Amino acid sequence: MIQLSRLSRTDWFGPLLATILAIITIRAFSENFLSLFNIQILLLAIAVNALVAYSQMIIIAIGQMNLSVGAIGGLAAISFVGMIEVWGLPTPIAVILALTIGVGCGVINGVLIRITGISAFVITLATLSIYKGINMGITEAQPFYGVPDSVKAFGVALVLGPIPWLLVPTALVAVGLWFMLSRMPVGRFILAVGSNEHAAGLSGISVNATVIIAHALSGLLAGIAGVLVVARLQIGQPSIGDDWLILSFAAPVIGGAILAGGHVSVSATFLGVVIVAIITQALVLFNIDPFLVQVVLGGLILAAVGLNKLRARRPIGRGE
Amino acid sequence: MTDSTPVFQARGVEKAFPGVMALSGVDITLHPGSIHALLGENGAGKSTLIKMITGVHQPTAGTLTLDGKQVSFASPRDATVSGVGVVHQERNLFPRFSVAENIHLEQLAGAYLKPINYRALNDAARPWLKALDLDIDPSTLVSELSVARMQLVEIAKALSLQSRVLLLDEPTASLTSSETDRLFTILRRLRDSGTSLVFVSHKLEEVQEICDRVTVLRDGANACDSQPMEGVGRQDLVRMMIGRAEGTASWRARDTTTHPEVLGLTNVSTALGHKDINLSVRKGEVVGLYGLVGAGRTELAKAIMGKFTITGGTVRINGTPVTITNVAAAIHHHGLGYISEDRKNEGLILQHSVLANVGVPIWRKLTRQFSTLFDRDIRTAALPYLQKLEVKTPSLSQTVANLSGGNQQKISVAKWLAASVQFLIVDEPSVGIDIKTKAYLHELLRDLADQGTAILVISSDMPEIIALADRIKVMDDYRIMGEIINTGVYDDIAPAIMNLIHDSVAPAA
Repeated sequence: MIQLSRLSRTDWFGPLLATILAIITIRAFSENFLSLFNIQILLLAIAVNALVAYSQMIIIAIGQMNLSVGAIGGLAAISFVGMIEVWGLPTPIAVILALTIGVGCGVINGVLIRITGISAFVITLATLSIYKGINMGITEAQPFYGVPDSVKAFGVALVLGPIPWLLVPTALVAVGLWFMLSRMPVGRFILAVGSNEHAAGLSGISVNATVIIAHALSGLLAGIAGVLVVARLQIGQPSIGDDWLILSFAAPVIGGAILAGGHVSVSATFLGVVIVAIITQALVLFNIDPFLVQVVLGGLILAAVGLNKLRARRPIGRGE
Repeated sequence: MTDSTPVFQARGVEKAFPGVMALSGVDITLHPGSIHALLGENGAGKSTLIKMITGVHQPTAGTLTLDGKQVSFASPRDATVSGVGVVHQERNLFPRFSVAENIHLEQLAGAYLKPINYRALNDAARPWLKALDLDIDPSTLVSELSVARMQLVEIAKALSLQSRVLLLDEPTASLTSSETDRLFTILRRLRDSGTSLVFVSHKLEEVQEICDRVTVLRDGANACDSQPMEGVGRQDLVRMMIGRAEGTASWRARDTTTHPEVLGLTNVSTALGHKDINLSVRKGEVVGLYGLVGAGRTELAKAIMGKFTITGGTVRINGTPVTITNVAAAIHHHGLGYISEDRKNEGLILQHSVLANVGVPIWRKLTRQFSTLFDRDIRTAALPYLQKLEVKTPSLSQTVANLSGGNQQKISVAKWLAASVQFLIVDEPSVGIDIKTKAYLHELLRDLADQGTAILVISSDMPEIIALADRIKVMDDYRIMGEIINTGVYDDIAPAIMNLIHDSVAPAA
């Protein structure tokens, strides 16, 4: 019993249980759910969505929010295809430039937040509009079709069984993030600043640098997600990123992240993405109106926040 | 002075905040291998002095010297690097980080990408934990420690930075007596190894037990400067802390014993932990509720107003037992008013106009058909009170944030006068206002009482409570410790109040 209560205190245990339950339930109603094709579709969604979630998670870790995650991802995506189609740049260079744009957008967010002292909410709301506006200015709301064949091939290639190549960058990012947040000073600083900015400053941590690094990282991850979406859709859609915002908060929150900052979990956030993907998939399988997905996502966020609050109320290591 | 050379000195330190002189020429001399008490009432300037020594504030005038060399700390970092450490009253730890990481975060601050070797970190933390008799695994999460141990971890953190001067701001405030004893053993050991410690506490017994020198501040100046503790008795300390009798001029005895009771509490307990609270305020009477910060006074006021749940006992208004479930009912049905100590966050809506602020509690009363509200009505209702209090504002549409602290306070009083409450709770009325306005405000409150309002004044400023109250209730640790009939004679009442509080501490030790 003690072990169980210990497990229940970890961030990943609840989401894992929910994932398994969801899989069993949906499998019971639908034979097709665990077909190889279906699993492949699930994994494709997870590959992109996990990066979107991580892009937000790193900002939640410093106790802020980034509303411009989708706008950055969209801008990176269309510049990626645009640079290939219009300028004829080789794919690797276009990838690097697109990711640089992502990082740049993040740095702009971070610097503005620290210089002005205005809340991240307002700054990223403004930059969301700006980045999206630039996107629309470049594309004139028309997609770029010049996605090279190598990228298209990457988007549909499978590593093994139903596992798509698209999942590989995501997996590497997840491992890298986990290592950074638990083993590298920069990751600890991000969590320290999110936990208590004042105390972090007193401990010699540069709050400015840490916040800017976190936003740069968020921009980078959003950029990677944008590029991967291009590979998956095989087209440079200007609307890429438009529907990322709710998901980007839902997954970290389901994964036990504290919105006030200082605590996030890479593995539990991943499970959060899996849960969202499974439920979305199930709604499709059962022919339920896809617009209902939004409603379900909202409900999930409320439930997760409520659960986190309950967990936080349990006294930890303090008898009175 | 003694033979040892001082490690740290402050000479003629002044600190002015806009409108307030927080410190005017304070001296303090710290010697190695000594535990130095820093005493003073709330508002005497202790925390300002600490903040200056530790680099949070910079002095407006005066010098700080470390090892005989003049220093100026631009930031708290500067101070810690120079060997001046501090353990603040509020915790500055990261609860989800391990003990070792909390202690050594400073050392990691140089590199961003070098992977952390947790084993080395734990090994490096062990000697510091051992030095403090802390028998915990350095990899334990701080959130799993007791408050006392968290405090020791902060001390370990300060020591690991080679602090030669270590300031402890009320370190025993949240400790049990046995935890305090252990802390003292450790502090003595640190002293014997040459550290210069500064000990800030309200508990005089502790100060006498452990300190060898004492500096007392009063009204932002030295009541004594780095005096050896030998031969200084408890009563001497009390006298230095409360010193002069001030502001009693306007006080006069009033007999209200025949007046009917407006608010009565009998054996009241609250969800916040108040126990057996008995309190009665009569018509036209000013009752003072004295206590130190954290004694539960504001919380009691808010419980009376219906903000927090009352779990036992009876609350009477005009003799009738009542249950007040929310603040709106307290104001509109029972005629209770509460002037918050936190004027800026709870008392006023700073971005709104004078008129809107005064009008809030009477909006309900003034609404006409279809819930419409006219500025004209509010003006008619509010203006007499604003004039009576001589609020200085260019116009009624002026934003409250642009007015001085004194005028803001007048507006929060006017607001409740306009609401014509029969019982008014005034929480720390003179926080952040200058001495002249303070005297004026005191007169105003007593005038109000003369006109029949029952008033409960909450204050931790002793001269204030003695200048205002007819009777004084002393509160400590969410209980009423006793009652004193105010005679207006400062030298009699102040020690009596102090004794009620400090006696309550003594038996716990």
